[in-house]
Amino acid sequence: MAVISADTRDRIKRLVSDVLEVESDEMTDTSRFVEDHDADSMRLIEILSSLELNLKVTIPQSELPRMVNLSGVYDVVGEIRP
Amino acid sequence: MTAATLAITDWSAVSPFGTGRDAFVKGVRQQQSTAVQLDRERWGGPDDVACLVPDFDVRTVLGKKGTRSMNRVTGLAVATSGDLLASADGLEVPRESTAFVLGTTVGSAQSTIDLTRGSLTGERPYHVESGLIPYAVMNGAAGQCAIWHGLRGPNATLSAGRPGGLVALNYARRLLLSGRAAAVLCGAAEEYSDARAWIDHHSRDDGAAGPVLGEGCALFSLTTQPELPPLAELLAVASGTFADGDREGAVARCVRRALAAGGAQAQQVWVACPSGAAGAEGDAEIAALNGLFGASRVGTPVAALIGETHAASASFELAALLSRAEDDASCAGRTAVITSVDPGGTAAAALLRLRPDR
Repeated sequence: MAVISADTRDRIKRLVSDVLEVESDEMTDTSRFVEDHDADSMRLIEILSSLELNLKVTIPQSELPRMVNLSGVYDVVGEIRP
Repeated sequence: MTAATLAITDWSAVSPFGTGRDAFVKGVRQQQSTAVQLDRERWGGPDDVACLVPDFDVRTVLGKKGTRSMNRVTGLAVATSGDLLASADGLEVPRESTAFVLGTTVGSAQSTIDLTRGSLTGERPYHVESGLIPYAVMNGAAGQCAIWHGLRGPNATLSAGRPGGLVALNYARRLLLSGRAAAVLCGAAEEYSDARAWIDHHSRDDGAAGPVLGEGCALFSLTTQPELPPLAELLAVASGTFADGDREGAVARCVRRALAAGGAQAQQVWVACPSGAAGAEGDAEIAALNGLFGASRVGTPVAALIGETHAASASFELAALLSRAEDDASCAGRTAVITSVDPGGTAAAALLRLRPDR
């Protein structure tokens, strides 16, 4: 599996915590967006589009089910942009 | 004829006078002018002055949760409806069956333009801030008010330009008379933004000075079952269009239709309130009212104090009328007229009875 840099991880974490309106230190790699951070379907789409916009990548919507926490997002982005 | 009473039981406004009904009443009473020099760090439009809601920042006022992408017009509407629901004099608002009706021009010109620009300048057309999308459509504000406050009744947005607040009253009237809602929060909102300022600037002939722009939101609680004597009763609303340039005739027609529908005589009207439109529209509106009621019964628009608030202007005019009625017992049981006209060719008039049961 492709691994992304620590810088990119930090950047992703900032983008996601910004969309979810939580402080970065409230999130762990495995805390879940919906269950732990009150995200709804709209927020999940916002996460996807924020990553696309800021990392200049295109993420297929079919990857959304894997993007339940930061760890899942790192995996998805890593496969698209090693 | 004993039709159901359409009672206005309470209202609130977030306006250049400040937040809440008391601030608005005080502003009207003291004839406070509200134009301020714009901070060039914050605003980049063509204006040097505007009438802004003082210290209004969406995330400061509403908190950091659920507000990341919220635009100013939505923040103004959510704050106003929150203030109204918190007081709700004479109306134990059943939120499950409360409708929300909001007049607007185009929602937020700023959000619409920001989203479009993002799509045109991004790496891909779909690389846009998706959080902006709900607010880049014009019903974003009304929808968010319902979500934020748990209002489960009908939710409507009326894009009607300057008469928006009066057209919204008519929509609320129909919802109540047809039994679609037990109560309606109804009014209009307009934000100040660079985009709106530029659109206003470029919509005039080169070099022509425009009115000072204002912003804010005013909302009214309407019900057919008031628990306390209402502040006013909505008797009739009439609206129409004009394609022949005869603004004065269009306003006069709306007023006559409203008077006829409400069973009122022009000579009995306590006061007629024009909307304070700039230029030819405003001149025509005042000429129509002077002709029908005589200049002594034509009020001075609150726009002189809070600026041109476009979609919100008629709602602010109603708020100003109710403010004046609080201070003047002689209006009890009398009728009043509010008019509006838009350069785009629409006009409207509402007929109300003030303090009907006191």
